[in-house]
Amino acid sequence: MDLFISIFESFKNFFTVVIKFAPKFDQAILFTLELSIFSILLGTVIGLIVTSLKLTKLKWLQKIAYAYISIVRGTPLLLQLYFIFFGLPLIGLEFNSFVSATIGLAFHSGAYISEIFRGSIVSIHYGQEEAARALGMSKIQAFVHIILPQAFKRSVPALGNQFIIAVKDSSLASVITITEITLTARQFSAATYNPFPILFTAGIYYYLIITILSKLLKGLERRLRVDER
Amino acid sequence: MKDNIIIKIKDLHKYFDDLEVLKGISLDVHEGEVISIIGGSGSGKSTLLRCINFLEKKNKGDIIVNGKKIKRSASDINKLRKNIGMVFQRFNLFPHKTVLKNVMVGPVVIKKEDKKIAKDKAYELLKNVGLEDKADVYPAMLSGGQQQRVAIARALAMEPKILLFDEPTSALDPELVGEVLQVIDDLAKSGMTMLIVTHEMGFAKEVSDRIVFLHEGIIEESGSPTEIFENPQSKRLQSFISSIW
Repeated sequence: MDLFISIFESFKNFFTVVIKFAPKFDQAILFTLELSIFSILLGTVIGLIVTSLKLTKLKWLQKIAYAYISIVRGTPLLLQLYFIFFGLPLIGLEFNSFVSATIGLAFHSGAYISEIFRGSIVSIHYGQEEAARALGMSKIQAFVHIILPQAFKRSVPALGNQFIIAVKDSSLASVITITEITLTARQFSAATYNPFPILFTAGIYYYLIITILSKLLKGLERRLRVDER
Repeated sequence: MKDNIIIKIKDLHKYFDDLEVLKGISLDVHEGEVISIIGGSGSGKSTLLRCINFLEKKNKGDIIVNGKKIKRSASDINKLRKNIGMVFQRFNLFPHKTVLKNVMVGPVVIKKEDKKIAKDKAYELLKNVGLEDKADVYPAMLSGGQQQRVAIARALAMEPKILLFDEPTSALDPELVGEVLQVIDDLAKSGMTMLIVTHEMGFAKEVSDRIVFLHEGIIEESGSPTEIFENPQSKRLQSFISSIW
C-alpha cells in the first residue's frame, strides 16, 4: 500500500510540474515553428537552385553543387551551426542568432532536399520530355510545365521526411542561444533542478508539432494523387 | 496538287556509336501525301522518323522543310517541331494534366494562345477523335486506344503541316487498334500529310499513297501499295512480305 501511495505521489508531483511549466513554452514553441518553417522554405529554395546547378551542362557549376553537398553531408550539423554563428562574423557577416540559425539549418537541409529533387527529376520517364519537345517546347518550357510538376509530386514523401528532420534539427539551434523548445527546457530544468517532467513536456510539444506536420503532408500527398484515380 | 514538296530528306546518316543505323536516306514528302514506312526490327524506321524532328541528332545529311534547310540551332529546331506533330508508340501523355489540358498545353505554352480559344479548339479536336466526354479525366483512366487518340489530338492542336506516327498501334491490345487506325484514316482523307511507321500491313496498304521499305538503314524499295505488296521487286521485300503475311 505504501508503495502505491509513493508511486501516486511521484506521479502527482511529476504532472504538477508538467502542468505548471507547459504554458510557459508558448514563446519557445513559436521560435521552434519559425525556425523550422523559415529553414524549410529557404532550404527548399536552396535545394531547387542546387538541383538546377547539378542538371546544367556546365561542369564547374556541377562541381560547386557537388562540393556543397559533400561538405554538408560530411560534417555534423552542430559544427555547421557553430561555424556559421562564430565563423561568419570573422569575415564581416554579422547576423543575429536567429538569422544565423535559420541560414545554418537551411544550408544543411538544402543539400538533402536537392538530392531528393534530383532523384525525382531523373525518375520521370524520358518519353515525357520527348513528347514536350516534339510539340515544340523549349528545354525550359518542358522542364517547368511537364517535368517539374510530376517530379515535385514524386518528391513529396521524401520531402516530408526531410521536413520532419528539419523540425527536430532545429533543437540544435539551442547551442547558439536561441530559446526554442530545447533551450527553454534546459533553462527551466536548471532553475527547478527537476529536469525530467520538463524535458517530457518538451518531448510532447515536438511530438505534437511533427504529428500535425505529418497529417498535413499526408493530406498534400492525397490531393496530389488526383490523377491516379 | 501533290507536287509541292513539304519535306525533303537528303542523304541522311545516323550512327549509334560505331553502328550505322541509317546509311544515306533520301526521301521527298509531298503535301497531302501519306507514306508508310515498313521494315523489320532494327531496319531504322523509328530512327528515321525521330531524325526528321531532331529527337535524334543526325550525323550527316539535310532535312529541308518548305525549301529551307533546318540548322541545328535550338530556335530552328523548336520552330521545325511546331510544324511537325509526332505520335509515339507509348502515347506519352502528360499524366498530371487532364485530357483537355494535354491537348491545350502546346498552343498555350508554346504559341501563347489565349486559354479560352485554346480550350474551344481542344474540345473540337477531342470531338473529332470521339473523346469530348473524357475532357476532364486524367490519362490514367483511359484505355490505350483512347490515350492514343488523345495523343493525336494533342499533336493536331499545334496545327502541324505534317504528322509523324511512330508505331502508333504497337502498344495496344488488339481490340483497340481499330479505333486508332480509324482516326488516322480520317486524317488521311482530310488531306493531312503523314509519315507512318507501322506493322499493320493491311492498314498501310489501304491508307498510304506510297510505301517505303527500309532494310538495314537503306530504302530498299518504294512505290505504290500495289507495287509493294502485289509485285515486290527485291528479294528482301519479297521475303519480308511473305514472312508477315
